[in-house]
Amino acid sequence: MKDLKHLIYFENLLQEANNDLVKQATNDGKLAIAYTCYHIPEVLLNLDNCFSVRLRAPRTGSMDIATYYMSSFLCGYSKALLERGIEGGYNFLSALIGAETCSEMNRTYEHFELLNLVPNDKFFVTFVDSPFKIEQHTVKHYTNQLQVKVLDKLNEVYGVDTSDEALKKAVEEHNEICRLITEIGEYRKEENPRITGYEFHVLCLATYCCPKYLIIDKLRETAEELKTREPDQKKNYRAKIVVVGSEMDDPDFTKLIEDSGALVVADRFCFGSLPGREEIILNDEDDVLTQIALHYMKTSQCPRFMSHEKVQERRDYVKELVDKYNADGVMYEQLKFCEYWGYERALASYVMSGDYGVPTAAVDRQYTASASGQLRTRVQAFVESLEIKKIQKAKEMRENG
Amino acid sequence: MKYFGGCDVGSTYTKCVILDENGNIVANVTNRSKINPVQSAEIALDDAVAQVEGLNSAKELTYLIGTGYGRNKVPFADENISEISCHAMGVHVTNPEVKAIIDIGGQDVKGISIDTDGTVKNFAMNDKCAAGTGRFYEAMANAFEMTLPEFSKLSLNAKNTIPITAQCTVFAESEVISLVGEGKPMDEIAAGIQLAVAKRCFVMAKKAGAVDSITLTGGCAKNDGLKKAIEKVLKINVVELKTDPQLMGALGAAEYARQKGLAKVD
Repeated sequence: MKDLKHLIYFENLLQEANNDLVKQATNDGKLAIAYTCYHIPEVLLNLDNCFSVRLRAPRTGSMDIATYYMSSFLCGYSKALLERGIEGGYNFLSALIGAETCSEMNRTYEHFELLNLVPNDKFFVTFVDSPFKIEQHTVKHYTNQLQVKVLDKLNEVYGVDTSDEALKKAVEEHNEICRLITEIGEYRKEENPRITGYEFHVLCLATYCCPKYLIIDKLRETAEELKTREPDQKKNYRAKIVVVGSEMDDPDFTKLIEDSGALVVADRFCFGSLPGREEIILNDEDDVLTQIALHYMKTSQCPRFMSHEKVQERRDYVKELVDKYNADGVMYEQLKFCEYWGYERALASYVMSGDYGVPTAAVDRQYTASASGQLRTRVQAFVESLEIKKIQKAKEMRENG
Repeated sequence: MKYFGGCDVGSTYTKCVILDENGNIVANVTNRSKINPVQSAEIALDDAVAQVEGLNSAKELTYLIGTGYGRNKVPFADENISEISCHAMGVHVTNPEVKAIIDIGGQDVKGISIDTDGTVKNFAMNDKCAAGTGRFYEAMANAFEMTLPEFSKLSLNAKNTIPITAQCTVFAESEVISLVGEGKPMDEIAAGIQLAVAKRCFVMAKKAGAVDSITLTGGCAKNDGLKKAIEKVLKINVVELKTDPQLMGALGAAEYARQKGLAKVD
């Protein structure tokens, strides 16, 4: 396939949290508001003169200092953020918006405050209590938390306009990004997709980590370019897979999977597009903030929601993705020590193969060394087993007429 | 006659097998790996080619498959296949009755269950540390100032077993040195080490789905003390293979090369 015109540009934006577009926006006087979790509605951080930055820690080396402050038994993402914070990697931030979703990440938020990691007098860390269930009173509670801990705080410290009009404007901008990513993602359902999982991962991730108003032109051009892009006649993959799991902000992991013979056709992981890049549809009757809160609660596929219906819904959703994207199997990935995905992965990987008949593999990975040779062997063996199953199935069908 | 090659570039040893059209082994090589996987593969291929009359270079092989950690570095290879699939196929062509494998390589331990056609049914892999791997055995044998065969033989003489609690290679070495310093019998300490590794293998074998019998592959398969310990821990029969178990990865790769090469020619 012909290379995407702007792929290198997007790749370069993922080399640092404080990338060129983030620098441009902060130089323009915009406020960089960081977050780490889907439970913080991204649109609330894109109001007025703010822009959201979903925190990553690319090129993290040793995590010895973070391990000293935290523990060896915490997830690498939490520790990498602290390590990079200590190294001065997030000095450009104006605020960090946290959510009471994972006790490991809570320790990171805590250390941002305790160690005064960001040299900005106005910098603050705030912390939203997110419910475990979707009930009328929990929606009310969550909405109230978002009002008090996010909107009021941004207004109080930086004078940010948090009116309904500002919210609607942020939703509009968010929806345009979502429409573009969804349009691009639809090509992954094709029999021979015109976009690789790696390319899509890079594009999608850039939309989380850069100011939206600065990235949208190149994204529009890429969507336009893809309309006429021809895939290679000879398929470059042996099996299609859906990747499901915990925080994943490393396109090299997707590259490793694809270098091992698979094509990643759907990304159901934190920092992916499913969920994450659905439009927020607002009506004129209900309160705007409540509608936004409800959208995120309903679309979340986080294993933090432990009610039976939500657990079942997550498995059905993965099966739905397998069918819609014509995948041959599912790979569950989990950051080592992730408290929620540890349980989800262990159970779901058995249930998906046993009850749903979908070939499944499970891997746990480190935040900083996801492209290891051992991981490549695991992935390749899984791809080979999927390929053989496909060949056998085709043979059976031929024999049975 | 057409020939087909499999080259297994492992972290410790590089193995090469050449098959003829009928699946007979016409050459096999086991060399210590170099730091450079390309060089390791080149030397092993040259050594194997030299064993086959009428074959002058690896380029003349009808189909060549690389496997092992250096599988994508094998010169002239038509493709590479993971060592998990290759070990399964290697064991299948050696003894189709065997349905599960414990493969103890230089840097990892794998449990693999095999389908009726030699493909992988399921697998589990420990690659997080050196515990229970070939590297672990090398460190233990060094601590005993012995070769690996001497170490294996020593463990078989033990009347009792002294449990080793540390799984980490570094800590286990310290523990062994302390036990030796306390004057504990060397053979019983060696048997304790074999038991610790056998327990690690138990987990991998069960995760992969081993039921009534297994076989061992990889360099550590030649360790009789480990075989005995695994039989004791898993309470299942460990089947001995008629072909060198260290060659199973290369043999499986060569068999895949034979099947694919013949299909290509047809």
